Amino acid sequence: MRPKRLLLPTLVVPVLVLAACTGDDEPTDAALPQETDAEAGGGETEAETTTGGTLAEVQSRGTLNCGVNDAVPGFGVVTPEGEYEGFDIEFCRVVAAAVLGDANAVEFTALTAEARFTALQAREVDVLIRNTTWTASRDGGENASFTATTFYDGQGMMVRSDDPYQSLEDMDGTSVCVLSGTTTELNLESVFVSLGLDYEPLTFEDNDTLREAFLAERCDGWTSDKSQLAGFRATWPEDEGGPDALRILDDTMSKEPLGPVTLDGDTDWYDAVQWAVFSTIQAWEFGIDSTNVQDFMDVNPEDEPEIARFLGVDGFDSGLGLDPDFAVNVLQQVGNYEEIYNRTVGTDGLGLEPGQNNLWTEGGLLYAPPYR
Amino acid sequence: MSTRPDVEVKRPPPWRDERVLRVAVQVIFLAGVAAVVWLLASNLVRNMQAQGMRTDFGFLDQTAGFTLSGTDFSSRDTIWDALLVGLRNTLVVSIWGIVLATVLGVLVGIARLSTNWLVRKCAAGYVEALRNVPLIVFLLFLYLAVLQQLPRISDAITGGGFVLSNRGLYTPWIEIAEGSGLFLAVCAAALLLAVVVGIWRTRRFDATGKPHHRVLWGLGVFLVIALVAWFILDRPVALSIPVLDERRVTGGYEMTVEHGALLFGLVLYMAAFIAEIVRGSILAVPRGQTEAANALGLSGFQRYRQVILPQAMRIAVPPTGNEYISLAKNSALGIAIAFPELLRVTRIAIGQGQPAPQLIGIMMLLYLAISLLLSLIVNIVNRRLAARGT
Repeated sequence: MRPKRLLLPTLVVPVLVLAACTGDDEPTDAALPQETDAEAGGGETEAETTTGGTLAEVQSRGTLNCGVNDAVPGFGVVTPEGEYEGFDIEFCRVVAAAVLGDANAVEFTALTAEARFTALQAREVDVLIRNTTWTASRDGGENASFTATTFYDGQGMMVRSDDPYQSLEDMDGTSVCVLSGTTTELNLESVFVSLGLDYEPLTFEDNDTLREAFLAERCDGWTSDKSQLAGFRATWPEDEGGPDALRILDDTMSKEPLGPVTLDGDTDWYDAVQWAVFSTIQAWEFGIDSTNVQDFMDVNPEDEPEIARFLGVDGFDSGLGLDPDFAVNVLQQVGNYEEIYNRTVGTDGLGLEPGQNNLWTEGGLLYAPPYR
Repeated sequence: MSTRPDVEVKRPPPWRDERVLRVAVQVIFLAGVAAVVWLLASNLVRNMQAQGMRTDFGFLDQTAGFTLSGTDFSSRDTIWDALLVGLRNTLVVSIWGIVLATVLGVLVGIARLSTNWLVRKCAAGYVEALRNVPLIVFLLFLYLAVLQQLPRISDAITGGGFVLSNRGLYTPWIEIAEGSGLFLAVCAAALLLAVVVGIWRTRRFDATGKPHHRVLWGLGVFLVIALVAWFILDRPVALSIPVLDERRVTGGYEMTVEHGALLFGLVLYMAAFIAEIVRGSILAVPRGQTEAANALGLSGFQRYRQVILPQAMRIAVPPTGNEYISLAKNSALGIAIAFPELLRVTRIAIGQGQPAPQLIGIMMLLYLAISLLLSLIVNIVNRRLAARGT
């Protein structure tokens, strides 16, 4: 009964839809020399041919296609003026500044949790920066490569303040709202099953409908990454009681390392994105930010060789395919990690404590490899 | 042929022979379609393999890890089980939707032709309001603005055996005890017997012209047998009434508000279209039929039941069949209101890292199967109605 080896007949229909997106005519404008070599090698190396060129493709296109969230305050949200803003959005700009020298050369694509990997696989976006948790099966099964983690998060549970729940154990027989296609959906199930709790999970396609349902008290709890919950709590409407109407329980259900994602098999592009992220962390460690980067560019390479190398003052080329002064572009146009954090989710944004999202020298988990 | 042998000899060469050309064009066209399909399929498979994506169907046996609200699906069941649960939900909503939309649609359709001004205008208002709103908007309205605004489960509305809350709608339901297969078998047999009795009454009516009362007879036969069996077999079937206990409801039939919103939304919406079909079909029955019925002294109900509706049915069946198929397909809109029907389940599975091309392929085949099955049934009904001459 189970159709397991009926690949071709079943594929015939969807293929009409999908072939257009996964077509191999993508890298036409990428004029890398190694590309022609690979092409001569035969059809089997096609993946390398296509993926080898994302960096060159982005640079020749002049804009970065960034897959983001548009409904999570603090991380990725569309303002009433129609602008994207948030922590993840800033990192799209960081990558654009590093790769293209222009932080504004970004085309944002809002993606649902469920569609994000498909969009990446179909090359609709060059990089996915959409509070995406790094897991083994996503690394393995989704053809995704996770670059440096930009945000260390954990799953939490938000309830209404006037409800009696103090911890997860109190939540027997409740109904919990969760976004589908997320790691949270799976964690929720394993945590509640291991606690022996009976509950009703209610999975939604998008955060807006979920928010409506929570507002209507359709569900007793709302589970997601704690940072996201904090964002929703901070922007809770005043006529519904404002942020004080909601509580986030102390329980942390999981580890949620969030970071930019690229497609497997494209190491040049992966490295470029990764080092763009590292540059913001390294700058923080050096104490360089958007306000003082100009002063640092005047340092004597003999006195501060590391900073000079990092800012490309001495013309050091890492071979990453980025301009020697890419870090200057990043810092001038966007800023270092601390600035980005404070602006979006920290003191000037959602008001989250840095927690683990602090420099390794300060007891946090942010650690950039040496730039040499 | 033998009289004009020279004509037969003068056959044109194959490249100008119309019969050959006709066949050739079709063969070439088919080959072209097959080539395009093959090209696209092999392109997809090659690209998926090049990207290291799996192209087999083994993932269907993996445990799902996710759960589906309002179902007995557990996270330890397989992806294939999840798809079956989605298919079941789609079928349940479609079948109930078709039954209820037909009943409501016929009533509203008749009401639109009522001689009572208020009834006529109310029906017209209903049809126009529903028909001119996008279905998804209506579903979201019903879900977000109506059903979710019901009280929370802890202070749900109870009464008459019903429990209404914004978590679910609970109604009394028949509870079948374990091992009551014998009782169900007896019921099935009784139903069969009732049909046989009905046919016998009809035959007798045809032969003698005495009133047949076939529905009463059939119902009587069924009820007597079922009741006797129910007592003999120690009451295997009972009525289960939902009872609210703080945040939990036990017993009865649970319909989550998502399920309710989708079902009622589809029913109310499609009934408006069916009402218009019914109205048009009734109007299409020649006026002389009504006058003849009146001349015979039939009552208003008899006129509809015996004269107008049987003729209107024939006209109404094919377009109504289209509405049924459209209702079944529209059930996929449950995705917008968190109801785990087939599309929703497929998307959840894809979101959890299962391969999209295979899953979408399976889903499309299942929807195709549902639609083809529905149109097959409608065609059979249509043929039977058309064959039965007046």
